[in-house]
Amino acid sequence: MIWHITKRELYDNLNSLRFALATVLLFVLMLINAVIHVQEHPERMQKYHDATTKSLNTLRSRTDLFSIAQEGPGNLYKKPSSLYFCEEGGDIFLPDYAYGIPRVQIANNLRGFWSLYYPGAFPNIFNLRPDTVKVDWGFVIGYVLSLIAILFTFDSISSERERGTLRLMLSNSVPRHTVLIGKFLGALVSISIPFTLAILMNLLVISMSRDIDLGVDVWIRLCIIFIIAILYLCLFIALGLLVSSSVQNSVASLVILLLTWCVFVVFVPSTLASIASGFSNPMTYDEYFKRRNQNIRELKEEYVALLPETRGLPDKKIQIDSEYVIKGTEQEERLSQEQLNQQLTQIELARSVTRISPVTLVQHLLEVFVGTGFERHQQFLENVHRYAREYREFVTDMDRADSDSLHIIGVREGMSKKPISPESIPAFEDTLSLSRDFNAAAVNLLLLVLFFVVLSFAAYLVFVRIEV
Amino acid sequence: MMIITLIRRELLDNLMTFRFAAAVFIMLLLVVANTVVLIKDYDRRLESYDVAVKSNHDRLLESRTYSSGSFEVVRPPNLLSIFNAGLDKRLSNEIFVSYGFVPTLWDGQVHGSTNPLLNLFSSIDIVFIFEVVLSLMSLIFAYDALAGERERGTLRLVLTHPVSRGKILFAKYMSAMLCLLVPLLISLLLVVILLTTSTIVSLKVDDFLRIGGIILSSIVYLSVFYLIGMLISAVIRRTGTALMLAMFVWGFWVLVYPNVILVAVNLAQPSQERLASAFNQIEQIWDEFERERKDFLANDPIPGEESHFGIEGGSGLFETWYKDKRSLLFSYVAASYINKLDDEFEPQVPHVQNYYRFIIPRKIDAAERTWLVRKQALESVYFRPAIVDRIFLRLSPVGMYDAATQAWAGTDLIGLRDFYEATRKYRRTVIDYFYDKNAFEDRKWFSPDKGSVDWNSLPQFSFQRSVVDINAMRALPDLLLLLMMNVILFLVIYLIFQRSEV
Repeated sequence: MIWHITKRELYDNLNSLRFALATVLLFVLMLINAVIHVQEHPERMQKYHDATTKSLNTLRSRTDLFSIAQEGPGNLYKKPSSLYFCEEGGDIFLPDYAYGIPRVQIANNLRGFWSLYYPGAFPNIFNLRPDTVKVDWGFVIGYVLSLIAILFTFDSISSERERGTLRLMLSNSVPRHTVLIGKFLGALVSISIPFTLAILMNLLVISMSRDIDLGVDVWIRLCIIFIIAILYLCLFIALGLLVSSSVQNSVASLVILLLTWCVFVVFVPSTLASIASGFSNPMTYDEYFKRRNQNIRELKEEYVALLPETRGLPDKKIQIDSEYVIKGTEQEERLSQEQLNQQLTQIELARSVTRISPVTLVQHLLEVFVGTGFERHQQFLENVHRYAREYREFVTDMDRADSDSLHIIGVREGMSKKPISPESIPAFEDTLSLSRDFNAAAVNLLLLVLFFVVLSFAAYLVFVRIEV
Repeated sequence: MMIITLIRRELLDNLMTFRFAAAVFIMLLLVVANTVVLIKDYDRRLESYDVAVKSNHDRLLESRTYSSGSFEVVRPPNLLSIFNAGLDKRLSNEIFVSYGFVPTLWDGQVHGSTNPLLNLFSSIDIVFIFEVVLSLMSLIFAYDALAGERERGTLRLVLTHPVSRGKILFAKYMSAMLCLLVPLLISLLLVVILLTTSTIVSLKVDDFLRIGGIILSSIVYLSVFYLIGMLISAVIRRTGTALMLAMFVWGFWVLVYPNVILVAVNLAQPSQERLASAFNQIEQIWDEFERERKDFLANDPIPGEESHFGIEGGSGLFETWYKDKRSLLFSYVAASYINKLDDEFEPQVPHVQNYYRFIIPRKIDAAERTWLVRKQALESVYFRPAIVDRIFLRLSPVGMYDAATQAWAGTDLIGLRDFYEATRKYRRTVIDYFYDKNAFEDRKWFSPDKGSVDWNSLPQFSFQRSVVDINAMRALPDLLLLLMMNVILFLVIYLIFQRSEV
């Protein structure tokens, strides 16, 4: 019986204007998305490749341990995702690199070691173009698909009630939940058909391009993204059925649905984010530079005060030099880490508050599986930290292995002078792992399912109790 | 008389509906919540502006020689960015003014930013809320204006009275507009109340006029969408279909079009060759300058090519070449401050003075010649594409509305360009001040040993936004486009309605 109702709904929908319009809209958007990706992606990969090679070459051009330890690894680049077309995740607002170079000068002839620094991305100073949302799958799913879901379901029950056909159907001893499920499936299938076809066309265009090849891993990710999209679609269909069965009049039902949609999809993410980000006050750049200069000044003064004691005692000078190099470097790194942590905490809070909106949930989920956006940026930073540790360990290990060395890290005289083979220097590679992503996504996925269950249960309760 | 009865009937019909209540409620909720957030944000930016102005002024007072004076000027945040943020928060708000180069839009930096990652969240202004919600409400009010009455048969009933069809249309239009104005005006009133009650903001008469302009644009925008809805309603006989079409039109124009069209235009990348050739030209100008400088130093009676003729003491000379190929920035900046001038160097002092008297005017001249090259190249590579984008956006009423309100608020591209214009003027002021004081040949240009510079007579920079007439002039084209759309739509509806059978 469910299948019967579904089929009837499906035939109704397939012949309607909205089905035609939705199909055209989805196809056009997905086609534009694919064409843009095919054009832009090779360029992006090439840029990343050039940048990493350049940075690796500088790193490998050093042969002695001291300059390796002092100059550091240089720029560390974030690897662009091959699924960029699915969700851009605000990547242009996230820096795509971090760098490790020496940043403190302790005295005229004493420079600190390298430390990590995280530049901010200010792409907008140059950009005079109007602000836009990128047309990616995230946009199509988050905004367009949810709007289509509402436009397909707002009258599914209320109009039948208005016309009296609902009474007719229920008089045939069909259980009410069967009617509801039938309607649900009807809407789901009729929206899924153009959506799936549009996605397949999009992937076809992309995979036909010679410069892009999608691996097995990528296809698994795409499947997961598709499932998330369908789940999100279900959520809005359930919402549509809920409102449609609780309101007598189908225009009223549409008004409620559209306003709800506007509030939750368009406004809540930005408004709540601005409110939530007002709660914390990260260090401003002016403050950062003030503190940094203060720190360096103090360090210099301390060092200069100690210098007279070392006159004529080269061993002691080496000791003190090394001590101050390490101190200065640590201090520098601690401060930039502190600034970064404050920034990240602010964003994390704002992001967790906006999860009230299903569109944010879906965007976060997509970001995780696509490998863009904030979550991915944090992963990149973790990779950078791991690499920094590895790099520093490499220096101490190489020094320890040399028996001629004084094992005083920080000054040229105290460190190993053996030449280092360029291949043995650890190189940075940014990686992505799927199992890790699942953990990051679990909460969001559960929230999405929870929203869906609550909404469909509410729709069921309302529908069972209405008078027809 | 009849028309008043008709308007009254329609008005009562509309005012009592559920959709009306819902529209008012949601509008007020969104507007109030966002205004509070936006005022807080403005407050923060204003505070940061004050701090920056003060610290820049302090830094200027600290510099004891003319050549080391640093003139960093700051752009105050625009209060009306609460209505339409435009580019106000995006472009640089601090810029370095020096006689050595002419500042442009691409040379500034951002002060007082706390967390660049916050850009991840899109920000909302009041005009954006109107753009989305008002257009939606207009369509929902309009889709059954004609189709609904036709279906119910009441249209036939009304037409049996001796009323012209034009009058019926007009009555419907007027009453719906009156209804839609209620949420618009109440929410704007709330915004103004919130603005005036918050302590930091002080609104001037001009600001009220600008807000009036924004209200006017909003009304015209509202009317366009209402008429679009009415057109759909006149063409399509069934309300259900009319509603569906109206919603898709809305989704397309408000949601899809502004984002898709720019992607399509985006394919034209800024030309690297144009930038490279301009940079070449600029390099030549500076090469020529450098040659002249070297020649002067070589022909000077004192041997060597060093700009200080061997004078030492205190900190000395700081010189650097600024180069940025992306923004074609290329400039030679030098600051000298010799704290203690020993008597043994006294004979060289006239030579140094002579050198600066010769070199600085040439440098100013070179900077201005490079600017002519730079201006053209930057305009064609960065500025013109941005203008083209905005023209394409105007194919949707949302784009016209956005442009008009930005122009009223002064947060549009042209309005922000005024600031850079002002910084260039200020640079002239500083140069004139130097000429007045004969600063280049003054000992204080490079050494404060016989008294340091008194900066108090230097006029301070203050940026006055354009007067309201200019805002109006800039908003006028878009406003006229919107009005024209209104008239055309109304005529088309009238013609269709005249000929349709009821």
